[in-house]
Amino acid sequence: MYIPDPISKLIDGFMRLPGIGPKTAQRLSFYVLSMEEEDVMELAKALVRAKRDLQRCEECSNITDQKRCRVCGDKGRDRSVICVVQDPRDVIAMERTKEYHGLYHVLHGAISPMEGIGPDELSIPDLLKRLEDETVQELILATNPNIEGEATAMYLQRLIKPFGIKVTRIAHGLPVGGDLEYADEVTLTKAMEGRREL
Amino acid sequence: MQVEELELSQFRNIDRLALNCPESLHLFVGPNAQGKTNILESLYVLALGKSHRTRKDKELIRWGADAAQIKARVSGEFGNHRLDIRLTPRGKKVVKNGLEQRRLSSYIGTLTAVLFAPEDLTIVKGSPQVRRRFIDMELGQVSPSYIHDLTRYNQLLLQRNQLLKDMGNRRERINAFLDVLDEQMIDLSTSLWKKRVTFIKQLTQWAQDIHTSITQAKETLTIDYQSAVPTQGVTDEAGYRMAIEKELLRLREQELRRGTTLTGPHRDDLRLFANDVDIHTFGSQGQQRTAALSLKLAEIELIHQETGTYPILLLDDVLSELDDSRKTHLLEAIRGKVQTFVTATGLEGIDQETCDRARIYRVQQGSITEQG
Ligand SMILES: Nc1ncnc2c1ncn2[C@@H]1O[C@H](COP(=O)(O)OP(=O)(O)OP(=O)(O)O)[C@@H](O)[C@H]1O
Ligand SMILES: [Mg+2]
Ligand SMILES: [Zn+2]
Repeated sequence: MYIPDPISKLIDGFMRLPGIGPKTAQRLSFYVLSMEEEDVMELAKALVRAKRDLQRCEECSNITDQKRCRVCGDKGRDRSVICVVQDPRDVIAMERTKEYHGLYHVLHGAISPMEGIGPDELSIPDLLKRLEDETVQELILATNPNIEGEATAMYLQRLIKPFGIKVTRIAHGLPVGGDLEYADEVTLTKAMEGRREL
Repeated sequence: MQVEELELSQFRNIDRLALNCPESLHLFVGPNAQGKTNILESLYVLALGKSHRTRKDKELIRWGADAAQIKARVSGEFGNHRLDIRLTPRGKKVVKNGLEQRRLSSYIGTLTAVLFAPEDLTIVKGSPQVRRRFIDMELGQVSPSYIHDLTRYNQLLLQRNQLLKDMGNRRERINAFLDVLDEQMIDLSTSLWKKRVTFIKQLTQWAQDIHTSITQAKETLTIDYQSAVPTQGVTDEAGYRMAIEKELLRLREQELRRGTTLTGPHRDDLRLFANDVDIHTFGSQGQQRTAALSLKLAEIELIHQETGTYPILLLDDVLSELDDSRKTHLLEAIRGKVQTFVTATGLEGIDQETCDRARIYRVQQGSITEQG
């Protein structure tokens, strides 16, 4: 079947997004054709702006549209604690809890030889620089609980040891609200291992 | 544990199949290449989440179809469950009681199964890889945390091997990260080693009794877990930790040169002896068969011991191959307590009593018809 070039380019574009297959890409593309020109312009501009105007915060490496992100610029935050996460989305998740008032550091991934990601590909050097400042007292390692996330946390822990800063790892265990009897054995075992005194 | 209802669609050469099976013995008969093994395979996949014949789930989908499905209602000492596995070329979905399970380790163990097929002789005769797979599949059924650790270990190996390859070229910087992976490796290896050694010890106890009785006390079976890490004198986890730590240090240069992980549970093996003679190397065909059968029967008992319920038993093409004494043994061992699914090309070679007890189905081009 003949598909005009502009459409097939659009379909290809959508297909580069995660979770979008050829069928969905085609549906989205034809939908775009039916949209008002004004709305299409808005969408196109938003896409470009998101890419062009966003940068990494010079302090915590989170994505931001300023030199420093909102959290780093907030005078009310506790500057003695830094929570290290893999991904900007993890910051959003943590912020949603409204329970954490310290700062963040976004690594943008985990160390993974298979993906060619070494310590230098992550924002680890920037993190070390931040630790030279004496206000930092505690580092919370909140990387993912899989092999790569754990390895990254262990690596950081070794790296940070000479700084004499307290390092903690977030506990992984039972989802709150989940009934104990429905938790699988693995989750339960890990939850038992990570128990703490009250 | 018992399968009450089984429903297949687009699985291998089966278009649709619905089986009501509250009884304990089911016999599938038909010429070659009709789909008998496929039916047993579907039950195996239902229990273990993967096939015994292939690693590629895609092969299980009927040619030309988009997806395959295995659905069942199972009942046991701990209540009823609905199990549902959907296989697509993009991946599989396992659903238990209507809830999708993200981890296979939270699904496996709901229904347990022991399969006995002619190729099981390779557990004795074949390469170490076959024996490791045997341990992994069987231990996984009784220990979800074993599956969890094993999955992590395999992922770690991939990462570590890649790192070793990279480091061959440019050492300095990454050494610290290799130390981290070694720490993970020591933890996971110790946990896997401990679980495997305990499992083999329990399995041996059952297998020995069974073996002695099949051979009418002429032979004694012993099973030895052979670790790739030198473990002479090691009796506990602390000992193993120290041994593997030392071995990793000793091998580091060599591992860097070869770019791969040279020690660890992925290189362990089992050795089986009949009266102290290595069956793998010196056993006769008959001795090897008896050892394989003893292991399988031991597994049934071990699953019962560990989970409090018997597995289902899948006998693919083996009844006609066993001699009378082994066959009697097998049938005695499972009688009345283990739901069993049997395949055979014909009813010859299967004793009258078994035929009388069984529900018999003819299998033809992926369909079954019950015999009156
Ligand atoms: N994905 C698939 N789609 C359709 N047919 C398949 C698929 N995979 C295998 N088959 C067919 O299934 C048949 C094999 O079925 P199966 O292995 O169950 O035979 P069997 O009845 O056990 O025979 P035997 O007595 O030789 O062991 C073959 O004809 C094969 O071509
Ligand atoms: Mg067959
Ligand atoms: Zn910031």
